[in-house]
Amino acid sequence: MPEPCGRTFDEALLSGYVDRALVQRDEQRVRVHLERCAKCRAVVEDLRAAREATMMSRFETPRDDEWSETPRTGSSRLLIGLGWPLATAWAVLLIGYALWGSWRETDNLIERLLLLGGVTGFGLLFFGVLLDRLKAAKTDRYREVRK
Amino acid sequence: MVESAAPALVAGDAESDRQLVDQAKAGEPAACDALARRHRRAAYLLALQLLGNRDDAMDVTQDAMLRFFTTLKSFDATRRVQPWLFTIVRNQVRDLWRRQQRRPGDAIGGSDALVGQLAAPQPGPEADLHRRELKERVWRALAALPAEKREIIVLRDFHDLSYSDIAQVLGIPIGTVMSRLHGARQRLRARLEEEGGRHA
Repeated sequence: MPEPCGRTFDEALLSGYVDRALVQRDEQRVRVHLERCAKCRAVVEDLRAAREATMMSRFETPRDDEWSETPRTGSSRLLIGLGWPLATAWAVLLIGYALWGSWRETDNLIERLLLLGGVTGFGLLFFGVLLDRLKAAKTDRYREVRK
Repeated sequence: MVESAAPALVAGDAESDRQLVDQAKAGEPAACDALARRHRRAAYLLALQLLGNRDDAMDVTQDAMLRFFTTLKSFDATRRVQPWLFTIVRNQVRDLWRRQQRRPGDAIGGSDALVGQLAAPQPGPEADLHRRELKERVWRALAALPAEKREIIVLRDFHDLSYSDIAQVLGIPIGTVMSRLHGARQRLRARLEEEGGRHA
């Protein structure tokens, strides 16, 4: 069904024409129509002007020294991957040992309650964050990223 | 800050990208560095154009680059790097929106958010001033569009991606790219007309 202006093709072809993305036959149809249709010609001119303004724009971007270092290589990732669990295990053991030592050394109820309260509070915080992280890992959208 | 247009990647770049990807997969730090230097600016610009905020764009780009390198082993080196990286940037942006409880249909907050990031004009003749004003009007109108309209326009008109690359980044059939792009451009045109007459 032709449009009031006589156009017999999908309007989206005007964008394809601006982008030079049409096959020869469609490009010919659009060109012939544009020769006699001022309305569609105005659309094409506007699209072209906006495209050129967009294309010619320049933005401020960060300087080279504002970027963090290059992402890690395989070997450094491996070492860091091993280092973190070891450092975490060491910290947990050290803190556990210190807490256990403090617990044994005192018979004072208030000191024991303070110790227990602190450990319970941090434990609850830790497990709360852990649960959030586990939930986030299950819904990781990057598994859907096409490679 | 430095001034950047969309970095144009030509056929030779794609070929050397393939070599760099192979070397980066083999664990060569220099290759990772070269890939990062080559592509991070375009990734930043896309993030900026979607978010309208320099700090968020920087964070998203850093995360996207890290994601790019951690998934590099499974990347098919015969494919182009830029669409793959842009897909990651777009997903990172959507994750950020979700955390900020924003929707892809939302415009950028503040119509001057993107215009404020345009590089400062060089002193020049009146024609340059007219061009500058047109650019500012276009980016102001783009910032007011829903993100899904804005992204397809910037992918095509600023980053100069082909229709097939756009289809890959947006995860849509290539046959629908032209109609979506035209719909978005018509919204932009209507917006510019609302702001004040023809823009050509």
